[in-house]
Amino acid sequence: MKDNKQDEQLKKNKNKAAGILPQPALLFLTKIWRRTWRGNPPGMILFMVGLIVAIIMSIPIIYVIFQSISAESDRWLRLLDNRIPELLWNTLSLTIVVTFCAVAIGVALAWFMVRTDIPGRKIWQWLLALPLVIPPYVGAVTYIIVLGRSGWVRDLWEMVGFLGEYRINIYSFWGVAFVLIMFTYPYVYLIASASLRKMNRNYEEVARSQGMSTSKIFWKVNLPFLRPAIGAGAILIALYVLSDFGAIAMLRYVTFTAAIYFQTASFDTEAAAVLSLVLIVITVIILWIEGFTKKKSNYHQTSNTFKAPNRLLLGKWKPAVLAFVIAVFLLSVLIPIAVLIYWSVIGIQMGALDSRFFGFVWNSFRLSGAAALLCMVLAIPVVYLKSRYPSSISIGIDKLSYAGYALPGVIVALGFVFIFNNHLPALYNTFYVVAIAFIVRFLPQTMQSTEASLSLVSPRVDEAARSLGYPPWKVLIKVIIPAILPGVLAGGALVFVSSIKELPATLMLRPPGFDTLAVRVYFEATEGIYHLAAPAALLIIIVSILPLHILLRKY
Amino acid sequence: MNIRFKGILLLISIVAVLLAACGSNNDQGAPDSADEGVSPEETGELVVYSARNERFVQDLLEKFMDDTGIKVSALHGTDPLQIEAEANNVQADIFISNDLGALGYLDAQGYLQGSEPEGMDIIPEQFRSADNAYFAISARSRGFIYNKDLITEEEMPKSIEDLFNAEWADVPNGYAITRGGNGGMIGNVSALRYEWGDEKTADWIAAIQENAAGIYEGHGDIRKAVGAGEHAFGLVNNYYFHQQLLEPTDNNVGFIYPDQEDGEMGAIANAAGIGNVKNGPNEDNAILFIEWLLESENQVKFVGESLEVLINSDLEAEYPEEVQEQIVNFEDLNVQDMPITELGNYFQGTKELIEESGLDLELR
Repeated sequence: MKDNKQDEQLKKNKNKAAGILPQPALLFLTKIWRRTWRGNPPGMILFMVGLIVAIIMSIPIIYVIFQSISAESDRWLRLLDNRIPELLWNTLSLTIVVTFCAVAIGVALAWFMVRTDIPGRKIWQWLLALPLVIPPYVGAVTYIIVLGRSGWVRDLWEMVGFLGEYRINIYSFWGVAFVLIMFTYPYVYLIASASLRKMNRNYEEVARSQGMSTSKIFWKVNLPFLRPAIGAGAILIALYVLSDFGAIAMLRYVTFTAAIYFQTASFDTEAAAVLSLVLIVITVIILWIEGFTKKKSNYHQTSNTFKAPNRLLLGKWKPAVLAFVIAVFLLSVLIPIAVLIYWSVIGIQMGALDSRFFGFVWNSFRLSGAAALLCMVLAIPVVYLKSRYPSSISIGIDKLSYAGYALPGVIVALGFVFIFNNHLPALYNTFYVVAIAFIVRFLPQTMQSTEASLSLVSPRVDEAARSLGYPPWKVLIKVIIPAILPGVLAGGALVFVSSIKELPATLMLRPPGFDTLAVRVYFEATEGIYHLAAPAALLIIIVSILPLHILLRKY
Repeated sequence: MNIRFKGILLLISIVAVLLAACGSNNDQGAPDSADEGVSPEETGELVVYSARNERFVQDLLEKFMDDTGIKVSALHGTDPLQIEAEANNVQADIFISNDLGALGYLDAQGYLQGSEPEGMDIIPEQFRSADNAYFAISARSRGFIYNKDLITEEEMPKSIEDLFNAEWADVPNGYAITRGGNGGMIGNVSALRYEWGDEKTADWIAAIQENAAGIYEGHGDIRKAVGAGEHAFGLVNNYYFHQQLLEPTDNNVGFIYPDQEDGEMGAIANAAGIGNVKNGPNEDNAILFIEWLLESENQVKFVGESLEVLINSDLEAEYPEEVQEQIVNFEDLNVQDMPITELGNYFQGTKELIEESGLDLELR
């Protein structure tokens, strides 16, 4: 990562210096420059935009790493002695349990939906994806309301009488795990569904002709085919658990992410940086595992003799499977939404929708709007650079752009607190810092959909436009952008929704007096003022539903 | 070269236009920094950092906005060290704290500035710094909230020192304390360090860590748990007792002010107050705010829902009926004899002492 940056820095310096260098040296450098780009260097504007993006994306992380390395050694030792082993255990045990359970539930549901004759499949198929629109911290709020000390379940429990003392403690490892499982399983469910749909019947028929039972076929034939999908889903969930702040903090559990947040909030930035480095290492290891398994596993589906798989008849299992599906839906969608509607109604009756509330709405919308707009504007040149001018530099820029996306938001925010407070005081504590942090976090969402659109536009189109006399920038604006606009807008919509939901970076970077809906949900809920938390949470969910079809199409 | 240069210029201007476009409606983002030559009166703003519970502060700030027309931007849940971290890039005008130790620390480090606001005489001298850089408004004292169904007043411990004794682990359902990193607990330990020295204090921390039946995130959890009979008593600030009295159920609770006898140390007290941040962006408005706050009706508002007790008992804070009869005026208490400026000297090192004595700062 660092090398790439230095590399770019070199190139940049070289260009600046070009005017003063003697002729032969200039020629030599130009030659290297052209060779790096395989004889097709991009225009300066395009390159500069790409470079700026790469710098913005990587600087906060580099800064945090630098800070943690330069922390005093006894600080390191004390944390290594005390804090880090315990945080490691907390974080890894939670990550493993949540990933395992969410994968199990997701794959089971996908299997039932795609491969069995469960009644109402068409409706269940998308109902089960709905938890995607409920941010886990909102889910945590609803389960605090339902299962907490003064929750509904407690009343029910005591009404029944013979159960004895109320035993459910939502503020526990299993409380956190339950909430995270319920609101992350759709990632696996969607990926596994897509992959099951593509599965070829021929293999199963061969297995069956060899006398294998259905369950044996599942373990020996289907599951191996599902392995890439399961792996991808598991990685997504593991990365999510590592980065989640809201649900974990509300349920008073402490992982690395939560610890980093609290250390930063009490301005013990040195300890926060040290913990961040450990979290970065864990994240990188998980990403490395992903790359490793991807390389190792080669599963091929033959497409020329594709036959859609037949559906299994559930028979006597039908009631049990249906009960399972209904239970998951109840726990992950119906109960949370019902609780939020109930408290929203109470809140609205008590006048929760006052001018203060609309101020928060306005803050949320303009912040998310600015982030979405900036991401759309920046994604186009970066993607165009990568696709039309492939070289080690443009690929490096592309890779760097994913750094902030893969790493937890608290680390990016921590880097920004450092950088802006110490080196860019004029911008510190302004709205822009939060918006820029969102770019770092979410730009790849726009890049992915932009890239998908751009891959459908042949480079011949560019060439044709160029041959008709348009300069490159005009080609981009007049020809390419109109053609890829739907993809860019879809990416922008995803960034908008992610920004509306975003919690830790907003908490850490927002200027005084600038609260967003997500921040309010967090504060009101931790104070137990549910009638004020619920309307804001419900609005976040409603906004998130809008681009759901884009999300669903991705899988 | 020329074309390239133009390109870069174009790029910069595009970025500038873009930022301006999304920033044009940024009316309530950050306060403009003072170096733009805009005088505070024209911007009419005040930036308040507050470590106090937002519920207690927001109404007060809104009243200030209504009374003066000055727009307040507040950041709630702020750590005092944020003032220190921003010393070269001062953002806040006013710091509202729950802990005089924090204000004392900030003042000692030179992050607060003195002034001569009108009406400061209303605050007793021992509750403000010599130059009025910070001062206290409402007081809280440490003590034991107990559940009258589980334990009688006679059976309760009467001194903070009693907790050395392991017998208190055996009261019905045991007793409750907060985690070590809780602000109230830190203040408590600082006061003990002043009274006893570090060694005895460390033993005390180890004893309560060992003997407590429940360790909670905050005092609000303790009062609810004691009210519900989950513990016989808990170590809290007195206003949590006042708050529990207002609960529709689980309100059969009493409160012990410890160490009240002659010759005993007196109840450990702390106070919530205000610091005037040095070189804040809106210095004149900060003075305006302080003078406004010193008016008696606004001091009453400062107490507000927190149900704390005003430092100046002459001003009548308003409490609900159930609470009013239980209020012990601050001047009637035997309070630990510790100058407030001393608290600041114990701000540092207390957390470390707590952690080293075995009481975790955060819940695990």
